[in-house]
Amino acid sequence: MTRRSITRQYPEVQPDLPPRSRGVIALFEENCTVCMLCARECPDWCIYIDSHKETLPAPTGGRARTRNVLDRFAIDFALCMYCGICIEACPFDALFWSPEFEYAEYDIAELTHERERLREWMWTVPPPPAHDPGAEPPKELKAR
Amino acid sequence: MSTERIVGVGAGTKDLATEDMTLNIGPQHPSTHGVLRLRITLDGERITAAEPIIGYMHRGAEKLFEVRDYRQIIVLANRHDWLSAFASELGVVLAVERMLGMEVPVRAVWARTLLAELNRVLNHLMFLGSYPLEVGAITPIFYSFREREQVQRVMEEISGGRLHYMFNRVGGLKEELPAGWLGRVTDAVAAVRHGVGDIDRLIRGNEIFRARTRGVGVLTREQIEQYGVSGPIARASGVDFDLRRDEPYLAYGELQDVLRVVTRTEGDCLARFECLLDQVHASLDLADACVARLKELPPGPINVRLPKVLKVPEGHTYAWTENPLGINGYYLVSHGEKTPWRLKLRSASFNNIQVLREMLPGHLVADMIAILGSMFFVVGDIDK
Repeated sequence: MTRRSITRQYPEVQPDLPPRSRGVIALFEENCTVCMLCARECPDWCIYIDSHKETLPAPTGGRARTRNVLDRFAIDFALCMYCGICIEACPFDALFWSPEFEYAEYDIAELTHERERLREWMWTVPPPPAHDPGAEPPKELKAR
Repeated sequence: MSTERIVGVGAGTKDLATEDMTLNIGPQHPSTHGVLRLRITLDGERITAAEPIIGYMHRGAEKLFEVRDYRQIIVLANRHDWLSAFASELGVVLAVERMLGMEVPVRAVWARTLLAELNRVLNHLMFLGSYPLEVGAITPIFYSFREREQVQRVMEEISGGRLHYMFNRVGGLKEELPAGWLGRVTDAVAAVRHGVGDIDRLIRGNEIFRARTRGVGVLTREQIEQYGVSGPIARASGVDFDLRRDEPYLAYGELQDVLRVVTRTEGDCLARFECLLDQVHASLDLADACVARLKELPPGPINVRLPKVLKVPEGHTYAWTENPLGINGYYLVSHGEKTPWRLKLRSASFNNIQVLREMLPGHLVADMIAILGSMFFVVGDIDK
């Protein structure tokens, strides 16, 4: 009963959030291939992607190749349900959770984060926590 | 000459002309956590009829399930009862796994059991704080929220969420347990066990609390059976039914020597509160047993690799679980598509709240608050 309260002095003292904390979604756009899986798997369709095709000049003796170029990648956090399906669905590791949460806005339209802002969140993504000793080694290590 | 003439009728001269009053409690009312509306008819201060009017928060969850694949359904399934998110996710994945005939890794089964019990503790601590608040005791909610925070932190560490965990997947859990997490669970469980003892001593013997709840709102066995009331509310009236013991799912079959089903016979508000309080202790013991087992288990996977498009074979099944508030059931009908053809949701609060029309008549308005608070419901779970 006489234990100290665990109240945090929030604006002065930042909370120590665990690395898995689902605060905001960060985009590592260098990895994005515009496969659209995240936008299709999203349960409430809050990811907007625009792209165009670019034809690379044919190397000597080869064919011209086309590739997708990302024009727009935006997440509407006013709609987002923070389920993380987009991050799970991404086959190229272009989306990550970050525990950052201080992005409240007065205007709801401001909650749509465009690619530049999503890319900035990348700097706040923490490394994943180590696994329990009873866990199987992660497949990234097994593949080595 | 004297003639008797009545010049005015004072109240009470003839038979008292009174009128019943219809009173709306809610949909916005400080004592009805959420948007439950009750239309009650009053004779003076006594309730003569009561009718719960539900649906203000209806979001069409069942219809939405039909156009979502099974991973997307989990997003919605953990939202109808926001205090039992993990337990509600479980029903969906258990149904799908049964239809697929899928074997879930043993570590996942034990971790799910542990998380389900921690979720139960979180849910009960909420009501253990809010119920005394509703009958006039302000302090307990601060203590219960302090204890909740301990459990909340371990839940956030493993799942990343504080409310909508989104941690179940068909075939297991989303991610591995973080290193050292089991130790932190043990610490949290020990701290909560200590803290719940404080709440227990603060409230259980409190004279005012007892006076307001004892013998008030007695729910009979017949009413429970007629209305399909379940969970701690039913067990407080001596209906000794708990799916964890009577139809074990997850690892409960192996936990029978630890599992204690808390029952009372009185069926009044106090019995319901005591059931919840003792159930927290029972859940903490189960959590400890799960941690001990998880530490012993040989290394292994926590989930099953799923195909890119998960289709459930044609057929139907009914999976029910003992959610913190009562029986939660999912009736899954599949036509072999990646979405269910129908997923019926049976939520505990919906049935538990209907019995109010039988319970409230005959009580005073002041007792209504005590009864309503002791029915432990979540409006999202009623309206779905």
